[in-house]
Amino acid sequence: MARNTVGPRAQQPWAEDYYYQPASPASAWPAAPGPAPAAAAAPAAPPRAARTGGQTAADHQTQRRAAKSRVDEWMEVDFKFGGSRIKRKAVALILLGLPAPVPLFFMLPALLTLNSNTFAVSVDDTLGTGAEVCLFLCLLVTPMVTLTGQHWFVPLRRWYGIMMAACSVGDAVAASITDDFAGGVFGRVAGHVFELMGFFMVMLVIPIVCTSNPWAQKKLGKYWKRFQRLTYVIWGLLACHLILLEGFGFESGDNGSGFAGDGDAVFHQRFYQYAACSLFLLTLRLPPVKRWIVARQNEGRMWLVWVTVAPIFAIFVIGFAYILNEQIFKGIDSFTENPSAE
Amino acid sequence: MTSEMYAPGGRSTITLGGVIITAVSCLSALLLIAAIIYASGIGAREQAALTAAGCEPTLTPLMQQCTTQPILAGQYRALMTPAAQQLSTDAAAYAASEEDNLAVAEAALTAEVTSERALVAKLGALALPPAMRPLAKALISANQARATLTAEQARSSSLSRMRSFNHRVQLATATVETDMKLLQAAIDTPVRGA
Repeated sequence: MARNTVGPRAQQPWAEDYYYQPASPASAWPAAPGPAPAAAAAPAAPPRAARTGGQTAADHQTQRRAAKSRVDEWMEVDFKFGGSRIKRKAVALILLGLPAPVPLFFMLPALLTLNSNTFAVSVDDTLGTGAEVCLFLCLLVTPMVTLTGQHWFVPLRRWYGIMMAACSVGDAVAASITDDFAGGVFGRVAGHVFELMGFFMVMLVIPIVCTSNPWAQKKLGKYWKRFQRLTYVIWGLLACHLILLEGFGFESGDNGSGFAGDGDAVFHQRFYQYAACSLFLLTLRLPPVKRWIVARQNEGRMWLVWVTVAPIFAIFVIGFAYILNEQIFKGIDSFTENPSAE
Repeated sequence: MTSEMYAPGGRSTITLGGVIITAVSCLSALLLIAAIIYASGIGAREQAALTAAGCEPTLTPLMQQCTTQPILAGQYRALMTPAAQQLSTDAAAYAASEEDNLAVAEAALTAEVTSERALVAKLGALALPPAMRPLAKALISANQARATLTAEQARSSSLSRMRSFNHRVQLATATVETDMKLLQAAIDTPVRGA
């Protein structure tokens, strides 16, 4: 892969991984107190004395770097598959990336049979939720890099970003054809304020995905990163979209978004799911928090990071699980062309 | 405090990042506790909602304990809309050729028979509450009768003989439409036990 030439890797939007090349630890971690060159000279074998007690920040950083490179290096190793050799990383990336097109797959039968009813009733839920899932997975990459120090999964950011764009554009196109709002095509995609937010998101996602390639990065130079950061505007617009769609509350005794009461209306409320996921994604993007995590890593007190982050991550997992639940059930309904209007 | 950072002199300082992540972590922990408390009441709330709605065990395979009227209406609409569109297309093809093209008219009627039989099969598979089953049964019977008649019409050896079936087919269609309206009205009415 080509080298990223446009600046530091912190706060990368999705397309930046296209140019990802494992950077030197010095660029990834702040300079540690102590003789860094010496530490860099022997990263994999710190002295026994340093391992058993009286560790310095530099020792821990060295161990951290070694740990990071061990996982990334393990992922870079080839193995034999059939008649060819494949990197472990490639297999892992394919497996992790496979679920991303599933929302599009759910709509395929309705597309092949031109079932306008399925599109009219459930495309918003299936592709809209799919776009949300892909956006969150795309945004999850940076916090995971911060937490684990590993980079092998960074290419997933671009993949999830592209799938997010595909789902959101598909949703907008289907809505422009099959929705029953007045006002023609524009009325169907932007006739209500919540739709207008979705329309803005689609209008933003198109140029972002079009510029997520080496040629565009070269052409845009230092502006490319800023441009890609429009992803964060989409993230914000999604909050407006969901608030305008369902409000902050929920129907008493029912699911926030539907009819069937399964008793956990709060967990089904889409904005709450969004907020639960965003809390983790946003917090771990804040520069002071990233610096704090790096400092703890350098001190060798990673356990403190995990303990602190665990409740935030648990909230993320709960929110994301309910989004996935929505995606799976609505998606299966769409796939069987028995759309749920919930 | 978790946000302490050790300076070279041994003095500790509290960093902004530490404060932020600790605050968010505490908030998340409180939210988790609230979520656990809320989740512990899910079963009781669900039972109360089902009782209030008079729901029966699910009629759908979607792991829902209750098929509500809007869900049922959606299922019925999803079944009928494409079938009605297909039957209209087939009927238009027959109307366009019944005067002058036996082969095309025969093909149109054969397609109509296929569509009607497919609709009958789908209606038979639609899970309905007991109160609606007689209506669905009547609609299926009417559709079957119409399909049989249309099949007989399609086997006609001449256009004039084929057209002679038109009046009987229209009567059969009227019966199907009446039964469809009755079932549609029953489905559109919010009912207990659905």
